[in-house]
Amino acid sequence: MFSKKIIHTHRAAKEFSGNFFEAVGNGVLQTFESVGIAAQISAETLVWIFKGKINIRNTVAQIVEVGWRSFPIVALTSFFTGMVLALQVGTATTTLFNEPVYVGTIVGFSLVIELGPVLTAIVVTGRVGAAITAEIGTMKVTEQLDALQTLGTNPVKYLAVPRYIACILMLPLLTALANIIGIYGGFVMSNTAWNMPASVYMRDVLDFMSISTFMHGLIKSFFFGALIAIISCFKGFATTGGAEGVGKATTGAVMVSLVLILVSDYFLTSMLVAFGIK
Amino acid sequence: MITVKNLHKSFGSKKVLNNVSLSLNEGETLAIIGLSGTGKSVLLKHIVGLIKPDSGEVFVDDIEITKIKGADLSEVQKKMGYVFQEAALFDSMTVAENVGFGVKNLTSLEEPEISRHVTKCLNMVGLTDIEGLKPSALSGGMKKRVGLARAIAYEPKYIFYDEPTTGLDPIMTDVISDLINHLKKKLSITSIVVTHDIKSAYKIADRIIMLHKGEVIFTGTPEQTKITDNAVVRQFVEGLSEGPIKVERTFGDTII
Repeated sequence: MFSKKIIHTHRAAKEFSGNFFEAVGNGVLQTFESVGIAAQISAETLVWIFKGKINIRNTVAQIVEVGWRSFPIVALTSFFTGMVLALQVGTATTTLFNEPVYVGTIVGFSLVIELGPVLTAIVVTGRVGAAITAEIGTMKVTEQLDALQTLGTNPVKYLAVPRYIACILMLPLLTALANIIGIYGGFVMSNTAWNMPASVYMRDVLDFMSISTFMHGLIKSFFFGALIAIISCFKGFATTGGAEGVGKATTGAVMVSLVLILVSDYFLTSMLVAFGIK
Repeated sequence: MITVKNLHKSFGSKKVLNNVSLSLNEGETLAIIGLSGTGKSVLLKHIVGLIKPDSGEVFVDDIEITKIKGADLSEVQKKMGYVFQEAALFDSMTVAENVGFGVKNLTSLEEPEISRHVTKCLNMVGLTDIEGLKPSALSGGMKKRVGLARAIAYEPKYIFYDEPTTGLDPIMTDVISDLINHLKKKLSITSIVVTHDIKSAYKIADRIIMLHKGEVIFTGTPEQTKITDNAVVRQFVEGLSEGPIKVERTFGDTII
């Protein structure tokens, strides 16, 4: 009786470990396969771009979608981020030194090197990345991608190239605008709460800032733009399973993009600092 | 001429095509019949180069298309028109843009000739004054006909119809069958039609093949199909629930 129990437990443990390792193995294989396919789509996209095979009409439409239509939400979030940063810094320094000091410096630095690129990338992921995956994914499950191919059009060239270009060009531009609006938000807060003159605030902002500080943020936003485009397009092209599949692909694209933006931010920052761009 | 040799395809553990071979002569219309899920559409997508086989060959005008890709494949695909099962119209475009898409990409026609040609093609499938509508505003049958107009618009050498009459009323089904015959006579178009509509298959096909469980189990003319002794084919063309093809059904609490 006792030995039977041991055999049963042993079998169950063996089954569990077998299933576990099988699941882990499949997961690893699928991840490598996905990375491979995403790299293949990206390489194909870059080849089309370098060949100059760009559909101007679609590219302009995507630039409007990614840049112009994202601007209001980017402006709103960056303005309030600048305000809350100024409020936090001003309150803390007033407690410590009886007056708000270095508000412009901290607001400016935080926005330009970190919050501007990351927050803009997050907003664009939610607004544009999700839309790219949903659109391409829907086209995939309704055979529209196959239809494109039979009508002499490469789906990557027609759909991915304009979206890559739009994301790569518009992310740095939106980030630059987010920085300016955020810094202005910080000024509005400082001026309203502590009557800080514009000259003092702007002197604080610009005193410790150099061209390379701006470049640091803009280079990161360029990479984030590429990341959003690569993941969103890949997830769209890899969609299977009807409406449910489109939903899963869209959620997956947003989740993977957000995680990779935050993880790659650390590595990009380390690299840029190592190269003296800080 | 199209030749398919020993085509095999599996999706995961499911074998969809098992050693399928067929040939299609110039100007011929071949109907592929069979139950849902037997690999008819998959076969069609192999022939047009949308799916690569596990093994086997597909020759289109002596070019082995399973081995080529990119620009070479696109060059062969320009000879082919494909009418999709659910039309696959581009949601973001109007009907005119959909029908004119292939014409713009694959022919030397320029506007306003393209517009005139689009209207002509829509008229051929019985549609008028819908050029400015988006696909979302069309009924299922209208979408299907727009899809057909899109496939014939650039006058390809081969047209592949994936269930062109499913979802259409009987009169429109006959109109589409007449249109397929008309295109064959007027433009010498070579076609493969995947269909469940036996009446339509008899009307349009020079030859009929039946796919069953991923294999070709019958090839013959419509006349031979009508009198065949093959019990599976007989059951299918006569639409009988009883026969060698077992379909599990539930009536009340009884599973048959």
